[in-house]
Amino acid sequence: MKKGIALTILALLFAWQMISTFAIQRFPKPEFESGYITPETLLPSPRAEILEVLDVAVLLLALSVVTWAVLKRRSRNLVFWISVFSLAYFGFYREGCVCSIGAIQNVTMALFNGSYIIPWTVLVFFMAPLLFTLIFGRTFCAGVCPFGALQDLISWQPRTIGPRLNAVLGIIPYIYLGLAVLYAATGTDFIICRYDPFVGIFRLNATFGMFLFAGVLLLSGLFLARPYCRFLCPYGVLLNWVSRFSKYHLTITPSVCIQCRLCEDSCPYEAIEKPVTVKNPDSRKRMVRKFMLIVLLSPFFMLLGGWTGSHIHESLARVNGKVRMAEEILHPKRIAGQSETIEMTAFKASGKPAKELYAEVTGILREFYIGGWILGGFVGLTIGGLLAGRLITRYRTDFEPNRGTCFSCARCVDYCPVKTGTGSIEL
Amino acid sequence: MNRMKPSKQTIQLLNRIALISGIVAFILCILIIANYIQVKRIDPLNTPAMTVLLDRLKSNPGDDALRTEIRELDLLSRKAFFTSWWQIRTGGYILLACVLVIVICLKWIELIRPKIPPPPEPVKEDFWDQRKTRQRWIIYTGIFLVAGSLILAWLTYTEIGKTLYRQEIARQGTDSRQATDSLERGPDIELTINQLQRTGGQDSTPVTGTDSESDATQSGTTPGNADLEEQSNGPQQAFPSREEILSNAMTFRGPDANGVVNGKNFPVSWNGTTGTNVRWKTAIPLSGNNSPIVWKNRVFLTGASTTKREVYCIDAGTGKILWQTDVSAIPGTPSTAPKVDRETGLAAPTMTTDGQRTYAIFATGDLVALDMEGKLAWGKNLGLPKNHYGYSSSLIMYRNLLIVQWDQAEGASVKAFDGTTGKLIWNTPRDVKLSWASPILVNTGNRMELILSADPCVVSYDPASGKELWRVDCIYGEVGPSLAYAGGYVFVTNEYARLAAIKLGNPPQIAWESTDYLSDIPSPVASDDYLFLVTSYGVVVCHNAKTGEEYWVKELDNSVYSSPVLVDGLVYLLDKTGIMHIFKAGKVYQPVGEATLGEGSVCTPAFAGGRIFIRGEKNLYCIGN
Ligand code: SF4
Repeated sequence: MKKGIALTILALLFAWQMISTFAIQRFPKPEFESGYITPETLLPSPRAEILEVLDVAVLLLALSVVTWAVLKRRSRNLVFWISVFSLAYFGFYREGCVCSIGAIQNVTMALFNGSYIIPWTVLVFFMAPLLFTLIFGRTFCAGVCPFGALQDLISWQPRTIGPRLNAVLGIIPYIYLGLAVLYAATGTDFIICRYDPFVGIFRLNATFGMFLFAGVLLLSGLFLARPYCRFLCPYGVLLNWVSRFSKYHLTITPSVCIQCRLCEDSCPYEAIEKPVTVKNPDSRKRMVRKFMLIVLLSPFFMLLGGWTGSHIHESLARVNGKVRMAEEILHPKRIAGQSETIEMTAFKASGKPAKELYAEVTGILREFYIGGWILGGFVGLTIGGLLAGRLITRYRTDFEPNRGTCFSCARCVDYCPVKTGTGSIEL
Repeated sequence: MNRMKPSKQTIQLLNRIALISGIVAFILCILIIANYIQVKRIDPLNTPAMTVLLDRLKSNPGDDALRTEIRELDLLSRKAFFTSWWQIRTGGYILLACVLVIVICLKWIELIRPKIPPPPEPVKEDFWDQRKTRQRWIIYTGIFLVAGSLILAWLTYTEIGKTLYRQEIARQGTDSRQATDSLERGPDIELTINQLQRTGGQDSTPVTGTDSESDATQSGTTPGNADLEEQSNGPQQAFPSREEILSNAMTFRGPDANGVVNGKNFPVSWNGTTGTNVRWKTAIPLSGNNSPIVWKNRVFLTGASTTKREVYCIDAGTGKILWQTDVSAIPGTPSTAPKVDRETGLAAPTMTTDGQRTYAIFATGDLVALDMEGKLAWGKNLGLPKNHYGYSSSLIMYRNLLIVQWDQAEGASVKAFDGTTGKLIWNTPRDVKLSWASPILVNTGNRMELILSADPCVVSYDPASGKELWRVDCIYGEVGPSLAYAGGYVFVTNEYARLAAIKLGNPPQIAWESTDYLSDIPSPVASDDYLFLVTSYGVVVCHNAKTGEEYWVKELDNSVYSSPVLVDGLVYLLDKTGIMHIFKAGKVYQPVGEATLGEGSVCTPAFAGGRIFIRGEKNLYCIGN
């Protein structure tokens, strides 16, 4: 029966997207003959400053309250309700925008494009969760991020996926982050926003492909807790790095771990580090040698990655509209019955000489060529870093959350029988 | 135990509510999808009934009752459409409510279920083993990423960088053509224009033993055009003499298909509406965008509909249709006409003749030869051209050979058929993209060359054997305009690519190029001193033919699809509304006359015997003083 319900939800998601995609206007603008004056197209006015201040205030408040709920109250219930509020406010009311994840692109753009001035609210949305994480761990993920909240809500029968899949999927966020930065730096696109699977749900409007993506993510979210946060979120990469240095990170037990093992399987995100007591069968000398080898090989990984990236730079550049247009002109592949793209019609109508476009595209390709090297180098470095990271061992006797991957959701806290403050046990 | 009971019952109840919501939602889901598919399939404004009514209104625009009927039907369609939409939307909201109920039930169950499970059975997991597994899989992922990226790069490679890079080199001029850019795209693209030009490329496939005409034409001194053409015009082969070629209009765009026409004293004023200087006007039964050709006192052209293809012969003196032959039943012809662009049509290629037979080709790939009385001499289907706008390359004769530029999306070639028998004499594959241009014949001084243009190159062939003589990579895109030739220079152009002048020599070199004004349909025309380029949006540009210097630019009020013709020191240019712009072929723009046809036209006029033959949208006109 439960499986049936899960399938129903998937079917619902499909149906849901259809309703919204259907809202696309299919009728051409009527041609009036009776002197009717078509009103001018109005652009939505920007959000009032006061409401922007409100957004920032809500963000800071939510961050503070959830941090308090996680670290002081140690209450999963409270965290859950805060996340429901965040989902309602940042998700359905603010329709997923402004968001800290997308802010990466604004920050990148501001760094690479001198003429772009980043709105202060966006900057706060980018910085505040990072600062909170640096001090308190990823409490932002626990209860403020609407994407996390939505996935948390539908997480139903989470399963573990094992070290292999974890290793493979864990690299994706780094690549996504690299791509997002590349596209934002070259002024091509904000891919995090364009391919944001949840915004379509918040707005009840998206393309078929995006709804499909969202549907697949949510369906997998029934059995794989927070798939987006763990295996896609580019902001999560930054939070993961920062959280490792957090001073007051959540602990499973409020005082001492009594090794009861009750919390062992409590984390749906596989973020609990179990005690490591068995000695490494490899000698210390060997481990050091291995570590040194990986450190020495890292520049090679970077070079190999960069070389690969430089080879796919044209494919990467094709996301850029101008590159696609130049390609359409130079290598027309139109097939029977397919008319030219709107962009092409507009370009032709603009009367802009093709050589200007070519010159621009040559410049863009050059940027992507350099970007391809950097992106590949970054991925190479990431792989080197992950390999090296696996060689550093900290022996521990207690169950502890992994500071990088723990979302501070406080689920495991409920499983710990040790009582706050006194250290007494409540079973 | 007692405390547990209600909880169990509640769980059961919640499970049932979730199940019922799920079933309702599922049924709704199916209904919505079905409704969606149905509505998606119907185009509310283009129903067959509406199309019929609109067609009727077009032929009878004053019918108010019909107008009202259309409006009512339109309103009905819109109402039906929006009702379906409303149903889908409302169904969607109910669906959402069901999902919400399911989520609430499941969460509730989660809340009231006993929370903390007993500690799990200790599993013997080897921490160190797991760690090694992770490391191994990270390495596998890295390898996969490198391999995957390279495969992706290979699969999606479109040469755009290479092409733009070449353009950049080309822009740097023809003197210092070495690559200076350090884009580091690999050594293979460090090419110069010189390197891109190569002679002797693909070999032709002689289908039957051809004579050694090509050798004969390439040897000896530099005979005149007529000498070259007539050298092997032995007694057994009767094909037109150079004089006949020059005095008739046997091919699209003049004797050598390059827009230059012989003859003098052609009219410079007429009016198709009042009849001034119009000797006759004849309605052509089926439409076609091909131009008329003239042999002695006969004019030939073709027309086609989706079901029929016809060849017409018209008396040049009276305008009477002497014969019209239906050539729809050629063996191998497709049962349904290909889908083509309306602006190309099904009969875009212009015919040709050798004075004994006339030859025509259609968008269906049907190639036919008719004798001068309209009897089918032979006909064959070359296969349906893979051409999304519609096949449009015109035919050309070289002595007894009927030459077909068969550029298509896959398997492009140039073919020569024996005019008498229709037998394939040679067939040369072409590694080019689809094009819409027509071939030209050039007498370089020591040989005849058949020169063709299509993305990515201009290629010259020996017209007798089909052997490739040289090629210059210099053109891109969907090439529509044909080439121009004068004074040792071949001129090539295409929209979004470039205008380039190729100076013939060994090897041929790009002498100059420009990207200011480019054409996508009309072909350029050149004299020894000037090159006239016309854009389809109606701009005429005059360049110095040798240096490329832009002498003047004239903007016309209308767009132009037909190609300019240079005759007797004048350029005749017919715009789409049917106005012929006549101006001097000179360094400054000097209009000589402007004549109106009275109907629109996209065809290039034919000039012969002091008369001009213009095909309008519906009629063929003979203009003469
Ligand atoms: S707080 Fe506990 S349950 Fe939640 S993510 Fe961190 S380790 Fe996992």
